[in-house]
Amino acid sequence: MSRSQVTKYLRPSTPEEALTLLRNGGKSARYVGGGADVARTLPGDVTTLIDLCTLNLSSIEESAESIVIGATATLNEVLENRSVANVCNGVVAEMMRKVGSPLLRNMATIGGTLVSAHSWSDVIPLLLVLDAEITLYDGDSRTMGLGDLYASRERFANSILTSVMIPVSGPGDYAAFHKFSRTAYDIALLNCACYVHVEEGRCTEARIAAGGTPRLATRLPQVEAALPGEALSDETIERVAQVARDTVKTADDRRASGEYRKQLIYAGVKSCLHEIAQRLEGGQ
Amino acid sequence: MIDITLTINGEKRQFAVNPGETLLELLRREGYKSVKKGCESGDCGACTIILNGRAVTSCIVFAVKADGGTILTAEGLENDGKLHPIQEAFLEEGAVQCGYCTPGMEMATYDLLSHNPDPSPLEIKEALSGNLCRCTGYVKQVKAVKTAAKKISGEAK
Ligand SMILES: Cc1cc2nc3c(=O)[nH]c(=O)nc-3n(C[C@H](O)[C@H](O)[C@H](O)COP(=O)(O)OP(=O)(O)OC[C@H]3O[C@@H](n4cnc5c(N)ncnc54)[C@H](O)[C@@H]3O)c2cc1C
Ligand code: FES
Ligand code: FES
Repeated sequence: MSRSQVTKYLRPSTPEEALTLLRNGGKSARYVGGGADVARTLPGDVTTLIDLCTLNLSSIEESAESIVIGATATLNEVLENRSVANVCNGVVAEMMRKVGSPLLRNMATIGGTLVSAHSWSDVIPLLLVLDAEITLYDGDSRTMGLGDLYASRERFANSILTSVMIPVSGPGDYAAFHKFSRTAYDIALLNCACYVHVEEGRCTEARIAAGGTPRLATRLPQVEAALPGEALSDETIERVAQVARDTVKTADDRRASGEYRKQLIYAGVKSCLHEIAQRLEGGQ
Repeated sequence: MIDITLTINGEKRQFAVNPGETLLELLRREGYKSVKKGCESGDCGACTIILNGRAVTSCIVFAVKADGGTILTAEGLENDGKLHPIQEAFLEEGAVQCGYCTPGMEMATYDLLSHNPDPSPLEIKEALSGNLCRCTGYVKQVKAVKTAAKKISGEAK
């Protein structure tokens, strides 16, 4: 693939500078995170690349309430981080292992992953159920829920995603992720993530999301509503999985039919909730 | 053109690169032909190199990004005409057929073994999951990585 139209590769040192460069470049300018998507699918009219990895935004820090991940941390840095490993029984690393291969994860950044917002992204459904927030910089910094961001029309405009916050978890917090794909390395035919908070054996709160339906991942409020007040028995799990199959909107694309995806969401929710139930039994 | 400095296989060098050029393109034009061009879209792993200690697919890394960094290619595995234990193991176990995927596989192995000296078969498969081979059935590569691990830890003793 030729990228010979690119005439400038700029390496700003502050978000202010990056934003100015992008505004000056207009339509012909593009931010680069890890560059995995940009290098592969660069539109012919993009002539200026602005690298965000020189902004020093790759640290991962834990505060009392959340783990703050800089936008240019690579997916493997997130996977290997000890604070991240403490979130809901290590579910983030478990999911990350299913994203491409280590070769990709050593370059691809968490920021680029959330901004490119692929409908089959494995990262997005899990971060939605973990209630992740993001900080955007467009001259001012603002923080919002990841779900609110995708629901809003403007999405990113020219903003720089500077960090992602994942709440720290405590006793009773559990999460699981399931990806269906033809091979371990392929992208998802469908994926889903479940979070539950359990007190005295009963679920008090639930968040469930599915991606690759084939649309971008969203939360599934009707499915979530079936859990609070319930213990995670086989019967409850079966019923919740059926609600997922009957209510989640799926469609055909070249990877799978909508009908097949309905079976996948049923099996995915079931497998996530069974995994959590097993952890509860094992007292982990 | 943009001037960048890279330390490749222990040698510090300067290059003038095009702003849109990838590391794969730069390395091949500079004669590092172990870095193979396969899919050029991050899918096959033939172009795998070690950049600042980690294995990456060089076809989707902009060359400018690596400025100031350290690169290892399969050319740099060999030492004074002596093959690296990873290379020896790949040969001994018959993990090389046409050889097109081999340098990439070896670099992915290098990353794995430098972070995990005694990997399980599952860990080996995960580490090589981004390296496609059209000839073998992957069984011999997994064996080769195990053998390489033994050779390296034996050497370290
Ligand atoms: C071979 C391969 C296999 C893959 N397999 C999977 C998989 O199994 N599961 C999965 O979920 N994903 C998969 N992906 C997708 C992958 O996760 C994304 O391509 C990658 O995460 C993009 O990250 P990046 O940092 O390289 O983004 P870039 O290519 O750098 O950027 C992507 C987009 O985001 C913009 N951008 C980047 N960073 C920022 C920022 N901080 N602020 C604002 N805008 C920004 C860029 O302008 C660009 O438009 C795969 C990709 C490849 C190449
Ligand atoms: S050539 Fe780079 S991954 Fe195939
Ligand atoms: S040996 Fe031929 S591609 Fe692997």
